Amino acid sequence: MGDEAKELVLKEVDRELLTNLLAQGKRMDERGLNDYRQVKVTKGVLSTAEGSALAQIGDSKVLCGVKYGEMTPFPDRPTEGVFMVMAEFLPLASPTFEPGPPSPYSIELARVVDRGIRSAEVIDTASMFIEEGKVLAIFIDLYVMDHGGNLTDTAALAAAAALSDTKVPKVVDGKIVRGDYVGPLKMPDKPVTSTFIKVGDKILLDPLRSEEHAADCQLTVGTIDGRVVCMQKSGAGSMKKSEVMECVDVALAKGKELRSYI
Amino acid sequence: MERMVLPGEEVWKREVQASGTYVRGGITYASVPGMMRDEKFIPLEMAYRPKVGDNVVGVVVDERHAGYMVDLNLPYNGVIPTRKVRIHLELGGMVYGKITFVDEVGNVDIGEVDKLPAGKLLSVPASKVPRIIGKKSSMLNQIREMSGCPVFVGNNGYVWIGPRGNMHLVAKTLRLIIERAHTSGLTDQVAKYLDENR
Amino acid sequence: METPELFKDGKRLDGRALDELRPIRIIAGVLKEAEGSAFVEWGGNKVICGIYGPRECIPKHGASPYTALLKCRYTMSPFASLEEHGRTGPNRRSTEISKVIREAFGGVVMSGEFPKTQIDIYVDVLQAEGGTRIAAIAAATVALANAGIPMKDMISGVAVGKAGGQLVVDLGKAEDNYGESDMPIAFTHRDKEIVFLQMDGKLTPEELGNCIDSAMEASEKVYALQSEALRKSYEAEGGQELDI
Repeated sequence: MGDEAKELVLKEVDRELLTNLLAQGKRMDERGLNDYRQVKVTKGVLSTAEGSALAQIGDSKVLCGVKYGEMTPFPDRPTEGVFMVMAEFLPLASPTFEPGPPSPYSIELARVVDRGIRSAEVIDTASMFIEEGKVLAIFIDLYVMDHGGNLTDTAALAAAAALSDTKVPKVVDGKIVRGDYVGPLKMPDKPVTSTFIKVGDKILLDPLRSEEHAADCQLTVGTIDGRVVCMQKSGAGSMKKSEVMECVDVALAKGKELRSYI
Repeated sequence: MERMVLPGEEVWKREVQASGTYVRGGITYASVPGMMRDEKFIPLEMAYRPKVGDNVVGVVVDERHAGYMVDLNLPYNGVIPTRKVRIHLELGGMVYGKITFVDEVGNVDIGEVDKLPAGKLLSVPASKVPRIIGKKSSMLNQIREMSGCPVFVGNNGYVWIGPRGNMHLVAKTLRLIIERAHTSGLTDQVAKYLDENR
Repeated sequence: METPELFKDGKRLDGRALDELRPIRIIAGVLKEAEGSAFVEWGGNKVICGIYGPRECIPKHGASPYTALLKCRYTMSPFASLEEHGRTGPNRRSTEISKVIREAFGGVVMSGEFPKTQIDIYVDVLQAEGGTRIAAIAAATVALANAGIPMKDMISGVAVGKAGGQLVVDLGKAEDNYGESDMPIAFTHRDKEIVFLQMDGKLTPEELGNCIDSAMEASEKVYALQSEALRKSYEAEGGQELDI
């Protein structure tokens, strides 16, 4: 039982504390409701991957590695390359993460980041055709290393940064030549996400881990310039249309800010 | 006047504590499907929650130091505390008793226990039990009389039918009541059915 | 990839108007063993849902002293799509959908009444034609009510989005696959609170707001059918036929 029971009790404690603070217009830290914590992005941190980046939002740290591979295309899209996003919640990132098969949370995170990149159409899959029955594949792996809350935005930022750091490998005789590149991956847009939580009637951007504990529900809004590219509501609890639209406006503005770090 | 009410729909414009409903902002709403009849709300489906004073039918499934563990058709077994029973119970034996204690997580103690002889145990939706019993046990007595069977009905949805009389008729009648629980004039419908099928 | 035409003579491929739902058929109480159940046919989608619980929590140590754990398992049958035979059981897609469906009901199911227990929502997609998660939510709401699991409100939803440059309600398979944007969304009936929301594709904030508005309107029609199904289940003697 241990950790799970502790989580439940902590959740109650955090909820009470945050509700009291919010009544005074304050958060668990000194931030305003629509402020991000300190954001830091370091690109090119790995030499073994075709692209990489470490993104940090507050204490949350997500490393993204981009690797190229060769693959058989999907039968319905025989001339298009493939990309996929996977997330690994490393056990060292939180006492609540356990080794084992991916949890629904890590699957959800990866799929939300994936949808943002896919909807923004930033990867030109048509250019990834090698020969009949063979295309290039891009594996975007997200390593969650420290869970300080709001892993989704940290991960989406890491992925966008790592992709913008990615070099396209040279292909000779239908095979990737490792360590030899034809140039940078062209990326017309940098999709990022902004995640909000709702506590009572208050909405907060970029929740801390302890604030996530107290949330009724959560809304992630993925953006490129002027457009929403993905949304995901998670957690029990509900939102009004007006609240969703407010989140969308803030996300579009904050997206610009996040992209400036890449 | 009759109308069906669904979860989330208004039942009364004022605050009323009634099962199958909840109150928000001074208004009472349904939380389960129900029927409004003469300003009364009759839940049509409802997951059973044990209450002190409920009569229950159960099966003894284990004997522990603390007492007998009894299957009540609930997520967790009820307990007949050893210090409260003087009779000896057998595993698999059926009992009829009253709920004497329910804690905040739904653990149940049973007292005033009577042993029931081996009989047929049926499980019915707990929400239909009030209809099966009827006003002042009118429905149940009618079934007992016409079938010649001893019948005990627990609020928990277990029904015990004693090994005498027309047990088959009891089972068929119960099914009829469950299907028509929301209709009016049910006692007469059942009387007619019992008369035709006895 | 070539995008097929999504409109013909100003109408959608299946002849529907922009704001028109596919035909929807809902039957409550189609299974005997389950505490509550529902079958939903929504266009070419066929979905069945069964509810178990409140019952003993498995594993026991996962039980909460405060509330019933609400669990959801959404799966797709191996014969659900026109393409090749799929694999049985959960995958990454279904794991995510299970999670968000569970959370959609997390806010309306009054789980606090049944501490230490679990309530299971099992939804199986027998046949898929786009919009299965919304059909699953429609089925689960009816099945939960049919099971007598207390809920603050019913949930109804629809997928809306943009296809061929137009705002469309209840995306069909081609519109889902080749359209610009897809947004499945579900509301509580009384307060129109959003309990389920996903979106992909590109939309401006204005388009997004319009999508939510038309979804709200369309989900009212879905609610009417859900409510009709529950009413009908009390008229049928001997239980409802599972008429797939």
